[in-house]
Amino acid sequence: MRSGNSLKVELCGLVLLVGIIGIVRAEDAKPSFPVMAPIPQYLEATASAEIALARTAAPPSISGDASVLVLGKHGYETAAEGKNGVVCLVWRAWSAGPGATGDDDRDFWNPKLRIPICYNPAGARSVLPAYLESTKWAFAGASKADIKERTRVQLASHQMAAPESGSMAFMMGRAGGFADGHHWPPHIMLFFPPISSADWGAGLHGVPISADQEEPEPNITTFNVLVPMYSDGTPAPVKQH
Amino acid sequence: MRAKGSSIARILGLAFLIGTIGTVWAEDAKPPFPPVMAPIAEYLEASASAEIALARSAAPPSISGDASVLVLGKDGYDTAAKGKNGFVCLVWRAWAGPGGFDAPDFWDPKYRAPICFNPAGARSVVPAYLERTKWALAGISKAEMRDRTIAAIASNRMATPDPSTLAFMMSKGDGQGHLNHWQPHVMLFLAHTVAADLGAGLKGVPLIAFPGAPEPVTVFDVFVPVYSDGTPVSAEKH
Repeated sequence: MRSGNSLKVELCGLVLLVGIIGIVRAEDAKPSFPVMAPIPQYLEATASAEIALARTAAPPSISGDASVLVLGKHGYETAAEGKNGVVCLVWRAWSAGPGATGDDDRDFWNPKLRIPICYNPAGARSVLPAYLESTKWAFAGASKADIKERTRVQLASHQMAAPESGSMAFMMGRAGGFADGHHWPPHIMLFFPPISSADWGAGLHGVPISADQEEPEPNITTFNVLVPMYSDGTPAPVKQH
Repeated sequence: MRAKGSSIARILGLAFLIGTIGTVWAEDAKPPFPPVMAPIAEYLEASASAEIALARSAAPPSISGDASVLVLGKDGYDTAAKGKNGFVCLVWRAWAGPGGFDAPDFWDPKYRAPICFNPAGARSVVPAYLERTKWALAGISKAEMRDRTIAAIASNRMATPDPSTLAFMMSKGDGQGHLNHWQPHVMLFLAHTVAADLGAGLKGVPLIAFPGAPEPVTVFDVFVPVYSDGTPVSAEKH
Protein backbone atom coordinates (compact mmCIF):
# COMPACT_ATOMS: atom_id res chain seq x y z
CA MET A 1 0.00 0.00 0.00
CA ARG A 2 1.12 3.42 -0.75
CA SER A 3 0.34 4.85 2.65
CA GLY A 4 -3.04 3.67 2.03
CA ASN A 5 -2.59 4.13 -1.62
CA SER A 6 -1.62 1.16 -3.42
CA LEU A 7 0.37 0.98 -6.50
CA LYS A 8 -0.22 -2.01 -8.50
CA VAL A 9 1.73 -3.16 -11.29
CA GLU A 10 0.90 -4.53 -14.51
CA LEU A 11 3.21 -6.23 -16.78
CA CYS A 12 3.01 -8.20 -19.69
CA GLY A 13 2.64 -11.90 -19.62
CA LEU A 14 3.77 -12.21 -16.13
CA VAL A 15 3.18 -9.67 -13.51
CA LEU A 16 6.20 -7.83 -12.27
CA LEU A 17 5.98 -5.34 -9.55
CA VAL A 18 6.37 -2.20 -11.43
CA GLY A 19 6.68 1.35 -10.45
CA ILE A 20 7.26 3.93 -13.01
CA ILE A 21 6.54 1.88 -15.95
CA GLY A 22 3.49 0.00 -15.34
CA ILE A 23 2.15 1.57 -12.29
CA VAL A 24 -1.55 1.54 -12.01
CA ARG A 25 -2.99 3.27 -9.06
CA ALA A 26 -5.58 1.64 -6.94
CA GLU A 27 -8.83 3.32 -6.38
CA ASP A 28 -8.35 3.94 -2.71
CA ALA A 29 -7.83 7.41 -1.43
CA LYS A 30 -4.43 8.92 -1.14
CA PRO A 31 -3.07 12.24 -0.13
CA SER A 32 -2.95 15.00 -2.62
CA PHE A 33 -0.28 17.67 -2.98
CA PRO A 34 -1.88 20.62 -4.75
CA VAL A 35 0.93 23.11 -4.07
CA MET A 36 4.60 23.03 -3.32
CA ALA A 37 5.56 22.15 0.24
CA PRO A 38 8.23 24.14 2.08
CA ILE A 39 11.55 23.64 0.30
CA PRO A 40 13.30 21.90 3.22
CA GLN A 41 10.87 19.02 2.86
CA TYR A 42 12.32 18.25 -0.58
CA LEU A 43 15.90 18.18 0.66
CA GLU A 44 17.85 15.26 2.02
CA ALA A 45 19.42 15.53 5.44
CA THR A 46 22.96 15.42 4.10
CA ALA A 47 24.68 15.73 0.75
CA SER A 48 26.44 12.45 1.33
CA ALA A 49 23.12 10.66 1.77
CA GLU A 50 21.83 12.13 -1.47
CA ILE A 51 25.02 11.25 -3.32
CA ALA A 52 24.76 7.66 -2.16
CA LEU A 53 21.10 7.49 -3.12
CA ALA A 54 21.77 8.95 -6.56
CA ARG A 55 24.50 6.43 -7.28
CA THR A 56 22.15 3.51 -6.61
CA ALA A 57 20.40 4.20 -9.91
CA ALA A 58 23.07 2.43 -11.95
CA PRO A 59 25.57 -0.36 -11.34
CA PRO A 60 28.75 0.83 -9.60
CA SER A 61 30.69 0.28 -12.81
CA ILE A 62 28.80 3.29 -14.14
CA SER A 63 27.73 5.35 -11.17
CA GLY A 64 31.06 5.09 -9.40
CA ASP A 65 32.68 7.31 -12.02
CA ALA A 66 29.67 9.54 -12.61
CA SER A 67 29.15 13.15 -11.68
CA VAL A 68 26.53 13.54 -8.99
CA LEU A 69 24.13 16.43 -8.57
CA VAL A 70 22.55 17.18 -5.22
CA LEU A 71 19.50 19.31 -4.58
CA GLY A 72 20.08 22.42 -2.52
CA LYS A 73 17.91 25.37 -1.62
CA HIS A 74 18.47 26.99 -5.00
CA GLY A 75 18.49 23.97 -7.24
CA TYR A 76 20.89 21.19 -8.12
CA GLU A 77 24.60 21.58 -7.57
CA THR A 78 27.47 19.36 -8.58
CA ALA A 79 28.52 17.47 -5.49
CA ALA A 80 30.91 15.06 -7.17
CA GLU A 81 32.82 15.48 -10.41
CA GLY A 82 32.81 12.40 -12.56
CA LYS A 83 34.97 11.17 -15.36
CA ASN A 84 32.74 9.05 -17.59
CA GLY A 85 30.22 11.65 -18.74
CA VAL A 86 27.39 10.02 -16.79
CA VAL A 87 25.36 12.20 -14.43
CA CYS A 88 23.46 10.78 -11.47
CA LEU A 89 20.93 12.61 -9.33
CA VAL A 90 17.71 12.08 -7.41
CA TRP A 91 14.59 13.27 -9.15
CA ARG A 92 11.88 14.97 -7.16
CA ALA A 93 8.22 14.58 -7.94
CA TRP A 94 7.91 17.27 -10.60
CA SER A 95 10.31 15.35 -12.78
CA ALA A 96 8.30 12.41 -13.67
CA GLY A 97 4.81 13.36 -14.67
CA PRO A 98 1.84 11.04 -14.58
CA GLY A 99 3.85 8.15 -15.92
CA ALA A 100 5.63 7.90 -12.63
CA THR A 101 3.07 9.06 -10.19
CA GLY A 102 -0.19 7.77 -11.48
CA ASP A 103 -2.64 8.85 -14.10
CA ASP A 104 -2.93 12.38 -12.81
CA ASP A 105 -0.73 15.00 -11.24
CA ARG A 106 -1.62 14.39 -7.63
CA ASP A 107 1.98 13.70 -6.72
CA PHE A 108 3.42 16.60 -8.66
CA TRP A 109 4.45 18.32 -5.42
CA ASN A 110 4.81 15.23 -3.22
CA PRO A 111 7.85 16.08 -1.07
CA LYS A 112 8.51 12.44 -0.23
CA LEU A 113 9.18 11.24 -3.73
CA ARG A 114 12.80 10.27 -4.42
CA ILE A 115 13.75 8.74 -7.76
CA PRO A 116 17.45 8.03 -8.32
CA ILE A 117 18.47 8.23 -11.96
CA CYS A 118 21.73 8.19 -13.92
CA TYR A 119 21.86 9.69 -17.41
CA ASN A 120 24.38 8.59 -19.97
CA PRO A 121 26.43 11.37 -21.61
CA ALA A 122 23.93 11.95 -24.45
CA GLY A 123 21.05 12.04 -22.00
CA ALA A 124 22.94 14.36 -19.67
CA ARG A 125 23.48 16.78 -22.53
CA SER A 126 20.10 16.71 -24.18
CA VAL A 127 17.46 15.50 -21.69
CA LEU A 128 18.62 16.40 -18.21
CA PRO A 129 18.79 20.22 -18.71
CA ALA A 130 15.02 20.52 -19.03
CA TYR A 131 14.54 18.89 -15.64
CA LEU A 132 17.14 21.12 -14.01
CA GLU A 133 15.39 24.12 -15.49
CA SER A 134 11.99 23.05 -14.19
CA THR A 135 13.54 22.55 -10.77
CA LYS A 136 14.78 26.13 -10.79
CA TRP A 137 11.32 27.32 -11.70
CA ALA A 138 9.80 25.26 -8.90
CA PHE A 139 12.20 26.64 -6.33
CA ALA A 140 11.54 30.15 -7.55
CA GLY A 141 7.89 29.67 -6.68
CA ALA A 142 6.40 28.82 -10.06
CA SER A 143 3.10 26.97 -9.93
CA LYS A 144 2.50 23.69 -11.66
CA ALA A 145 0.58 25.52 -14.36
CA ASP A 146 3.46 28.00 -14.75
CA ILE A 147 5.96 25.20 -15.14
CA LYS A 148 3.89 23.50 -17.79
CA GLU A 149 3.33 26.73 -19.66
CA ARG A 150 7.02 27.67 -19.57
CA THR A 151 7.84 24.23 -20.88
CA ARG A 152 5.36 24.68 -23.70
CA VAL A 153 6.83 28.08 -24.59
CA GLN A 154 10.37 26.73 -24.58
CA LEU A 155 9.36 23.92 -26.87
CA ALA A 156 7.61 26.27 -29.23
CA SER A 157 10.68 28.50 -29.38
CA HIS A 158 13.02 25.52 -29.73
CA GLN A 159 14.88 26.41 -26.56
CA MET A 160 14.38 22.86 -25.35
CA ALA A 161 16.56 20.36 -27.15
CA ALA A 162 15.39 17.16 -28.72
CA PRO A 163 17.01 14.03 -27.28
CA GLU A 164 20.28 13.12 -28.93
CA SER A 165 20.54 9.72 -30.56
CA GLY A 166 21.47 7.15 -27.93
CA SER A 167 20.11 9.16 -25.00
CA MET A 168 19.23 6.92 -22.10
CA ALA A 169 19.10 6.66 -18.34
CA PHE A 170 19.31 3.98 -15.69
CA MET A 171 16.68 3.48 -12.99
CA MET A 172 17.94 0.28 -11.48
CA GLY A 173 18.15 1.29 -7.84
CA ARG A 174 16.44 -0.47 -4.99
CA ALA A 175 16.43 2.66 -2.85
CA GLY A 176 14.23 5.69 -3.09
CA GLY A 177 10.61 5.58 -4.07
CA PHE A 178 7.57 6.74 -2.22
CA ALA A 179 7.17 7.43 1.45
CA ASP A 180 5.41 4.13 2.01
CA GLY A 181 8.17 2.09 0.49
CA HIS A 182 6.55 1.44 -2.83
CA HIS A 183 9.00 1.22 -5.61
CA TRP A 184 9.47 0.48 -9.24
CA PRO A 185 11.12 -2.42 -10.96
CA PRO A 186 14.59 -1.92 -12.40
CA HIS A 187 14.53 -0.50 -15.88
CA ILE A 188 16.40 1.60 -18.35
CA MET A 189 14.90 4.59 -20.11
CA LEU A 190 15.45 5.36 -23.76
CA PHE A 191 14.72 8.87 -24.98
CA PHE A 192 13.56 9.67 -28.49
CA PRO A 193 11.89 12.47 -30.35
CA PRO A 194 8.15 11.74 -30.40
CA ILE A 195 7.32 8.22 -31.58
CA SER A 196 4.05 6.37 -31.39
CA SER A 197 4.12 3.90 -28.53
CA ALA A 198 2.48 1.39 -30.88
CA ASP A 199 5.61 1.43 -33.03
CA TRP A 200 7.40 -0.33 -30.18
CA GLY A 201 4.48 -2.42 -29.03
CA ALA A 202 4.80 -0.57 -25.73
CA GLY A 203 2.14 -1.44 -23.21
CA LEU A 204 0.88 -4.48 -25.06
CA HIS A 205 0.35 -7.66 -23.10
CA GLY A 206 3.60 -9.45 -22.46
CA VAL A 207 5.81 -6.64 -23.75
CA PRO A 208 8.33 -5.51 -21.11
CA ILE A 209 8.28 -1.96 -22.39
CA SER A 210 6.10 1.00 -21.55
CA ALA A 211 6.05 4.47 -23.00
CA ASP A 212 5.77 7.90 -21.43
CA GLN A 213 4.58 10.53 -23.81
CA GLU A 214 3.45 14.09 -23.38
CA GLU A 215 4.76 14.35 -19.85
CA PRO A 216 6.96 15.76 -18.57
CA GLU A 217 8.23 17.07 -21.90
CA PRO A 218 6.05 16.56 -24.93
CA ASN A 219 9.06 16.67 -27.24
CA ILE A 220 10.25 13.35 -25.85
CA THR A 221 8.99 9.82 -26.00
CA THR A 222 10.48 7.78 -23.19
CA PHE A 223 10.51 4.02 -23.52
CA ASN A 224 11.01 2.20 -20.24
CA VAL A 225 12.49 -1.25 -20.72
CA LEU A 226 12.38 -3.63 -17.78
CA VAL A 227 15.66 -5.35 -17.00
CA PRO A 228 16.27 -8.50 -14.98
CA MET A 229 18.20 -7.11 -12.04
CA TYR A 230 18.81 -4.17 -9.77
CA SER A 231 21.98 -2.13 -9.82
CA ASP A 232 23.37 -4.18 -6.94
CA GLY A 233 22.98 -7.35 -8.96
CA THR A 234 20.00 -8.83 -7.18
CA PRO A 235 17.27 -10.20 -9.42
CA ALA A 236 14.15 -8.19 -10.05
CA PRO A 237 11.05 -9.55 -8.34
CA VAL A 238 8.92 -11.56 -10.67
CA LYS A 239 5.95 -13.75 -10.30
CA GLN A 240 3.87 -15.53 -12.80
CA HIS A 241 0.21 -15.18 -13.37
CA MET B 1 29.01 -30.54 -27.57
CA ARG B 2 26.85 -28.60 -29.83
CA ALA B 3 23.48 -29.93 -29.13
CA LYS B 4 21.63 -29.21 -25.96
CA GLY B 5 23.55 -26.80 -24.11
CA SER B 6 26.61 -26.25 -26.04
CA SER B 7 26.32 -22.53 -26.14
CA ILE B 8 27.91 -20.97 -23.20
CA ALA B 9 27.40 -17.57 -22.15
CA ARG B 10 29.77 -14.77 -22.22
CA ILE B 11 29.83 -12.86 -19.08
CA LEU B 12 28.52 -9.45 -19.33
CA GLY B 13 28.77 -7.87 -16.05
CA LEU B 14 26.53 -10.10 -14.13
CA ALA B 15 27.49 -13.32 -15.69
CA PHE B 16 24.50 -13.53 -17.88
CA LEU B 17 24.06 -16.54 -19.98
CA ILE B 18 23.23 -15.35 -23.36
CA GLY B 19 22.41 -16.81 -26.64
CA THR B 20 23.06 -15.44 -29.97
CA ILE B 21 23.49 -12.22 -30.53
CA GLY B 22 25.37 -13.55 -27.82
CA THR B 23 25.94 -17.16 -28.48
CA VAL B 24 29.47 -18.07 -27.62
CA TRP B 25 30.74 -21.57 -27.87
CA ALA B 26 32.74 -23.10 -25.11
CA GLU B 27 36.43 -23.04 -25.73
CA ASP B 28 36.75 -26.74 -25.27
CA ALA B 29 33.81 -27.70 -27.41
CA LYS B 30 34.02 -25.84 -30.66
CA PRO B 31 31.83 -27.59 -33.18
CA PRO B 32 33.15 -27.90 -36.69
CA PHE B 33 31.42 -25.14 -38.58
CA PRO B 34 31.60 -25.48 -42.35
CA PRO B 35 34.01 -22.98 -43.95
CA VAL B 36 31.68 -22.55 -46.89
CA MET B 37 27.98 -22.78 -47.32
CA ALA B 38 26.45 -26.17 -46.65
CA PRO B 39 23.81 -27.57 -48.98
CA ILE B 40 20.84 -25.21 -48.99
CA ALA B 41 18.49 -27.87 -47.68
CA GLU B 42 20.35 -27.88 -44.38
CA TYR B 43 19.35 -24.26 -43.75
CA LEU B 44 15.66 -24.91 -44.28
CA GLU B 45 13.09 -25.95 -41.74
CA ALA B 46 11.09 -29.11 -42.28
CA SER B 47 7.86 -27.23 -42.67
CA ALA B 48 6.71 -23.68 -43.16
CA SER B 49 4.38 -24.00 -40.21
CA ALA B 50 7.28 -24.91 -37.94
CA GLU B 51 9.25 -21.90 -39.11
CA ILE B 52 6.27 -19.59 -38.74
CA ALA B 53 5.77 -20.75 -35.17
CA LEU B 54 9.45 -20.32 -34.36
CA ALA B 55 9.48 -16.85 -35.92
CA ARG B 56 6.46 -15.74 -33.93
CA SER B 57 8.06 -16.94 -30.70
CA ALA B 58 10.45 -14.00 -30.88
CA ALA B 59 7.91 -11.56 -29.50
CA PRO B 60 4.87 -11.76 -27.23
CA PRO B 61 1.72 -12.89 -29.04
CA SER B 62 0.25 -9.42 -28.66
CA ILE B 63 2.84 -8.37 -31.25
CA SER B 64 3.76 -11.46 -33.21
CA GLY B 65 0.19 -12.65 -33.59
CA ASP B 66 -0.56 -9.74 -35.91
CA ALA B 67 2.86 -9.61 -37.57
CA SER B 68 3.82 -10.62 -41.06
CA VAL B 69 6.01 -13.70 -41.11
CA LEU B 70 8.77 -14.47 -43.57
CA VAL B 71 9.91 -18.03 -44.14
CA LEU B 72 13.15 -19.14 -45.79
CA GLY B 73 12.79 -21.04 -49.04
CA LYS B 74 15.31 -22.22 -51.59
CA ASP B 75 15.55 -18.81 -53.23
CA GLY B 76 15.18 -16.57 -50.24
CA TYR B 77 12.52 -15.47 -47.81
CA ASP B 78 8.86 -15.53 -48.78
CA THR B 79 5.96 -13.95 -46.99
CA ALA B 80 4.15 -16.85 -45.37
CA ALA B 81 1.69 -14.78 -43.37
CA LYS B 82 0.43 -11.27 -43.99
CA GLY B 83 0.28 -9.15 -40.89
CA LYS B 84 -1.63 -6.05 -39.96
CA ASN B 85 0.50 -4.24 -37.39
CA GLY B 86 3.60 -3.44 -39.44
CA PHE B 87 5.82 -5.84 -37.50
CA VAL B 88 7.76 -8.52 -39.36
CA CYS B 89 8.92 -11.77 -37.79
CA LEU B 90 11.39 -14.22 -39.28
CA VAL B 91 14.12 -16.65 -38.29
CA TRP B 92 17.62 -15.39 -38.92
CA ARG B 93 20.23 -17.76 -40.26
CA ALA B 94 23.89 -17.68 -39.31
CA TRP B 95 24.98 -15.03 -41.81
CA ALA B 96 23.06 -12.51 -39.71
CA GLY B 97 25.01 -13.41 -36.59
CA PRO B 98 26.71 -10.92 -34.32
CA GLY B 99 30.21 -11.73 -35.43
CA GLY B 100 29.56 -10.48 -38.93
CA PHE B 101 31.72 -11.75 -41.74
CA ASP B 102 34.43 -12.79 -39.32
CA ALA B 103 32.18 -15.10 -37.32
CA PRO B 104 33.40 -18.70 -37.29
CA ASP B 105 29.80 -19.88 -37.45
CA PHE B 106 28.93 -17.72 -40.46
CA TRP B 107 27.80 -20.78 -42.43
CA ASP B 108 26.46 -22.84 -39.52
CA PRO B 109 23.40 -24.54 -41.00
CA LYS B 110 21.91 -25.20 -37.54
CA TYR B 111 21.79 -21.59 -36.50
CA ARG B 112 18.27 -20.29 -35.89
CA ALA B 113 17.53 -16.91 -34.35
CA PRO B 114 13.86 -15.89 -34.22
CA ILE B 115 13.41 -12.14 -34.40
CA CYS B 116 10.54 -9.68 -34.81
CA PHE B 117 11.19 -6.18 -36.11
CA ASN B 118 9.00 -3.18 -35.48
CA PRO B 119 7.75 -1.25 -38.52
CA ALA B 120 10.82 1.02 -38.61
CA GLY B 121 13.12 -1.98 -38.54
CA ALA B 122 11.10 -3.81 -41.13
CA ARG B 123 11.64 -0.87 -43.44
CA SER B 124 15.24 0.00 -42.69
CA VAL B 125 17.02 -3.13 -41.40
CA VAL B 126 15.30 -6.20 -42.77
CA PRO B 127 15.91 -5.46 -46.47
CA ALA B 128 19.70 -5.67 -46.12
CA TYR B 129 19.39 -9.05 -44.43
CA LEU B 130 17.06 -10.34 -47.12
CA GLU B 131 19.52 -9.17 -49.75
CA ARG B 132 22.41 -10.91 -48.02
CA THR B 133 20.34 -14.06 -47.82
CA LYS B 134 19.75 -13.99 -51.57
CA TRP B 135 23.48 -13.67 -52.12
CA ALA B 136 24.11 -16.64 -49.85
CA LEU B 137 21.55 -18.83 -51.54
CA ALA B 138 22.92 -17.83 -54.93
CA GLY B 139 26.27 -19.25 -53.96
CA ILE B 140 28.10 -15.98 -53.38
CA SER B 141 31.20 -16.42 -51.25
CA LYS B 142 31.60 -14.70 -47.92
CA ALA B 143 34.37 -12.49 -49.31
CA GLU B 144 32.19 -11.43 -52.20
CA MET B 145 29.30 -10.74 -49.86
CA ARG B 146 31.54 -8.50 -47.80
CA ASP B 147 32.64 -6.61 -50.91
CA ARG B 148 29.08 -6.18 -52.08
CA THR B 149 28.07 -4.89 -48.67
CA ILE B 150 30.88 -2.34 -48.64
CA ALA B 151 29.91 -1.21 -52.13
CA ALA B 152 26.26 -0.91 -51.14
CA ILE B 153 27.17 1.25 -48.18
CA ALA B 154 29.50 3.42 -50.25
CA SER B 155 26.82 4.04 -52.85
CA ASN B 156 24.10 4.65 -50.25
CA ARG B 157 22.13 1.67 -51.49
CA MET B 158 22.06 0.22 -47.99
CA ALA B 159 19.74 2.16 -45.76
CA THR B 160 20.85 3.51 -42.43
CA PRO B 161 18.64 2.04 -39.71
CA ASP B 162 15.81 4.26 -38.68
CA PRO B 163 16.79 5.34 -35.14
CA SER B 164 13.45 4.14 -33.82
CA THR B 165 14.17 0.60 -34.96
CA LEU B 166 13.49 -2.07 -32.36
CA ALA B 167 13.63 -5.83 -32.56
CA PHE B 168 12.47 -8.51 -30.16
CA MET B 169 14.44 -11.66 -29.41
CA MET B 170 12.44 -13.07 -26.55
CA SER B 171 11.97 -16.62 -27.78
CA LYS B 172 12.26 -19.43 -25.33
CA GLY B 173 13.28 -21.77 -28.11
CA ASP B 174 11.66 -24.55 -29.99
CA GLY B 175 12.43 -27.47 -27.76
CA GLN B 176 14.78 -28.84 -30.39
CA GLY B 177 17.99 -27.69 -28.85
CA HIS B 178 18.07 -24.32 -30.50
CA LEU B 179 18.43 -21.29 -28.30
CA ASN B 180 19.55 -23.11 -25.21
CA HIS B 181 20.71 -20.58 -22.68
CA TRP B 182 19.21 -17.78 -24.69
CA GLN B 183 18.70 -14.65 -22.69
CA PRO B 184 15.59 -12.76 -23.84
CA HIS B 185 16.37 -9.29 -25.07
CA VAL B 186 15.27 -6.40 -27.24
CA MET B 187 17.60 -4.80 -29.74
CA LEU B 188 18.30 -1.21 -30.67
CA PHE B 189 19.93 -0.28 -33.96
CA LEU B 190 21.82 2.98 -33.76
CA ALA B 191 24.24 4.73 -36.04
CA HIS B 192 27.77 3.87 -34.91
CA THR B 193 27.79 4.53 -31.19
CA VAL B 194 30.57 3.89 -28.73
CA ALA B 195 29.47 1.00 -26.52
CA ALA B 196 30.67 2.78 -23.42
CA ASP B 197 28.31 5.65 -24.11
CA LEU B 198 25.51 3.37 -22.96
CA GLY B 199 27.60 1.51 -20.44
CA ALA B 200 27.31 -1.61 -22.56
CA GLY B 201 29.42 -4.50 -21.38
CA LEU B 202 30.29 -2.98 -18.03
CA LYS B 203 29.86 -5.09 -14.93
CA GLY B 204 26.27 -5.26 -13.83
CA VAL B 205 24.89 -3.46 -16.87
CA PRO B 206 22.16 -5.37 -18.73
CA LEU B 207 23.27 -4.17 -22.15
CA ILE B 208 25.78 -5.42 -24.65
CA ALA B 209 26.86 -3.86 -27.92
CA PHE B 210 27.76 -5.25 -31.31
CA PRO B 211 29.46 -2.77 -33.61
CA GLY B 212 28.64 -3.39 -37.23
CA ALA B 213 31.45 -4.18 -39.62
CA PRO B 214 31.30 -3.00 -42.30
CA GLU B 215 27.78 -1.74 -41.61
CA PRO B 216 27.77 1.69 -39.91
CA VAL B 217 25.54 0.43 -37.15
CA THR B 218 25.88 -0.49 -33.52
CA VAL B 219 23.36 -2.97 -32.22
CA PHE B 220 22.57 -2.80 -28.51
CA ASP B 221 20.90 -5.73 -26.80
CA VAL B 222 18.94 -4.89 -23.68
CA PHE B 223 18.17 -7.92 -21.54
CA VAL B 224 14.63 -8.24 -20.30
CA PRO B 225 13.25 -10.35 -17.45
CA VAL B 226 10.71 -12.39 -19.38
CA TYR B 227 10.40 -14.65 -22.37
CA SER B 228 7.79 -14.01 -25.00
CA ASP B 229 5.50 -16.61 -23.45
CA GLY B 230 5.51 -14.71 -20.18
CA THR B 231 7.75 -16.96 -18.14
CA PRO B 232 10.42 -15.18 -16.18
CA VAL B 233 14.11 -15.63 -16.75
CA SER B 234 15.13 -18.28 -14.31
CA ALA B 235 17.21 -17.36 -11.35
CA GLU B 236 20.17 -19.39 -12.51
CA LYS B 237 20.57 -17.07 -15.44
CA HIS B 238 21.34 -14.17 -13.23
